[in-house]
Amino acid sequence: MLERYVHACSLTEASTEEPAATRERYKERFPRGATRRMTQLGLLIGGTLDELAPRADDAIVYASAYAESRALEGYLDSFPTASPTLFQTSIHPSAVQQTLIARQHPIQEFFPLTGRAHLAVQAMQVAFLSPAPRVLLCGGEERGTWLLEQRAASERTFAFALALSAEPAGALARVTLTPADDATSSVELTLPQFFDALRARQSLERVGAPGVCLGFSWL
Amino acid sequence: MPLPSAARLEATGCITALGDAVATHAALLRGEIALRLHPVLGAEGGEPVPLALAPGRGLDETAPPNWLAAVSALVAPLAGAGWGTARRPVFVTSSNFGVGSLHAFRSRNEPAHLAYGTPHNCVEWLVREVGWGPNVTTLSHACVSAHLGLLLATRALEAGLAERALVFSFDFISPFVTGGFHALKILNAGFPAPYSDRATGSIGLGDGAAFAVLSRGEGKRVGDFTVGAQSLHNEMHHFTANRADGAGFTACLAPLREAAAGRRLWLKGHGTGTLDAGRLESAALTAAFPEAPLVGWKGSLGHTLGSCGLVELALACQSIRTGRAPGTIGGVAPMFGPCVALDSFSTAGTDAVICASNAFGGAHAAFLLAHA
Repeated sequence: MLERYVHACSLTEASTEEPAATRERYKERFPRGATRRMTQLGLLIGGTLDELAPRADDAIVYASAYAESRALEGYLDSFPTASPTLFQTSIHPSAVQQTLIARQHPIQEFFPLTGRAHLAVQAMQVAFLSPAPRVLLCGGEERGTWLLEQRAASERTFAFALALSAEPAGALARVTLTPADDATSSVELTLPQFFDALRARQSLERVGAPGVCLGFSWL
Repeated sequence: MPLPSAARLEATGCITALGDAVATHAALLRGEIALRLHPVLGAEGGEPVPLALAPGRGLDETAPPNWLAAVSALVAPLAGAGWGTARRPVFVTSSNFGVGSLHAFRSRNEPAHLAYGTPHNCVEWLVREVGWGPNVTTLSHACVSAHLGLLLATRALEAGLAERALVFSFDFISPFVTGGFHALKILNAGFPAPYSDRATGSIGLGDGAAFAVLSRGEGKRVGDFTVGAQSLHNEMHHFTANRADGAGFTACLAPLREAAAGRRLWLKGHGTGTLDAGRLESAALTAAFPEAPLVGWKGSLGHTLGSCGLVELALACQSIRTGRAPGTIGGVAPMFGPCVALDSFSTAGTDAVICASNAFGGAHAAFLLAHA
């Protein structure tokens, strides 16, 4: 069994808020001019990470099924004169990169994951495997428009960030990962489901990815 | 952070526009350039740019994607090994997945493309097609994606979470990605000349897919190479530029200097053909590993994006097996330093190669490939 402890938890949900409103809400939290170029997901991820005060020796694990849906929509709509800005902003790890570039904050390890049914537990496993003294596990989605109509984007806008370490003292929650065999069927634990569990301070015990049982107990 | 132990490389393979690993390596030794000029937006036209498409494949997306046959052939030898089960995880990496399908949907209004447009839809479909189980973790970190898969597979083995691990990476280009790099002006009518000191930088883009089977190397010895000293660094300085002092390259290579001490090395760099990155990368590699010859193969194959680390790993293995490494195809003197090797060379006097890749956001990744 692998074990880690949650020492900080930051959550935010923008529901159906438009990106412009989110940008206005966050403009004082980032260096002048930075928010103009940031996406809604970048702002939310940046806000949650900020509350955890990233350090130089942290590793960051980022999970998102759809990532930069609005930038992707804009980029696709820019054809045949493709937008260079929206192209670079639409890449999967962009939300975390927007934040850390705005802060000029280098890090050694950054693992951006994607997936669906097992994404939350897989991201947790990646965090557990990092040798960094502290791992910031963050994730989120932003609500799409025309991609959402095609079920190719999230219907919710939210973000979370957890600070994980091996130190139990003062922890908010204990997290365990226990190997499971192939005979134990895995059940879904999507990113929105994991976010809802964090928000409700709900403890979890489930084989949330093939071969891995997640235990999440609030202390 | 401590580097993970070396993982044994049981098997590897790739496909490029020049064929499988054996065919691609042989063609590179002959100096063949796979890149050809194609309209940047495929059937929609645009400026001709250098692209290296897999044999028989067009740039425009089809539904289902027209790269499935090539991928199925690549992974066919892996069938029946229980990939995707609890102790045999699969790490899939890509920078593009099937995102070109979303461009096809938007531009042609053909709903059939939507089934492949999101990363999870694309990977779930692919996993079903090739017959793997559900234990699949998916990563996407632009052009260092494949390196992350290798590192996580190594860590899963080291932690006892896996007995063997499969890393699979695929990137097939489409108007979505060619249009983007063209908009950034680094994909243009010019052919890439990696590490060449010239007035204008150019890249080419290419299709690529590859796999690596890793194990802890205990008990029965399988495979003739190890992947070790895997290192990462993220500058977080600018989306499309590196720090001017090259500190990001240096930081990524620093852990490898100790791991490679006493070895006789050659270097497989990233070498896309952009000027600033090429200058900084070659300077950092030469400073860290003086005298080691440096090559890059994207002047022939094009940049295979998130899969380049795994594609070029397979070609580095083939180079060591055959005793000859292809040179920097497409490079034209003067070069960024005397260590850039334009011609192929014998690997007989070396015992390891450092393989490095870079990505948007100033992301860097590198590892040491050596005989087991």
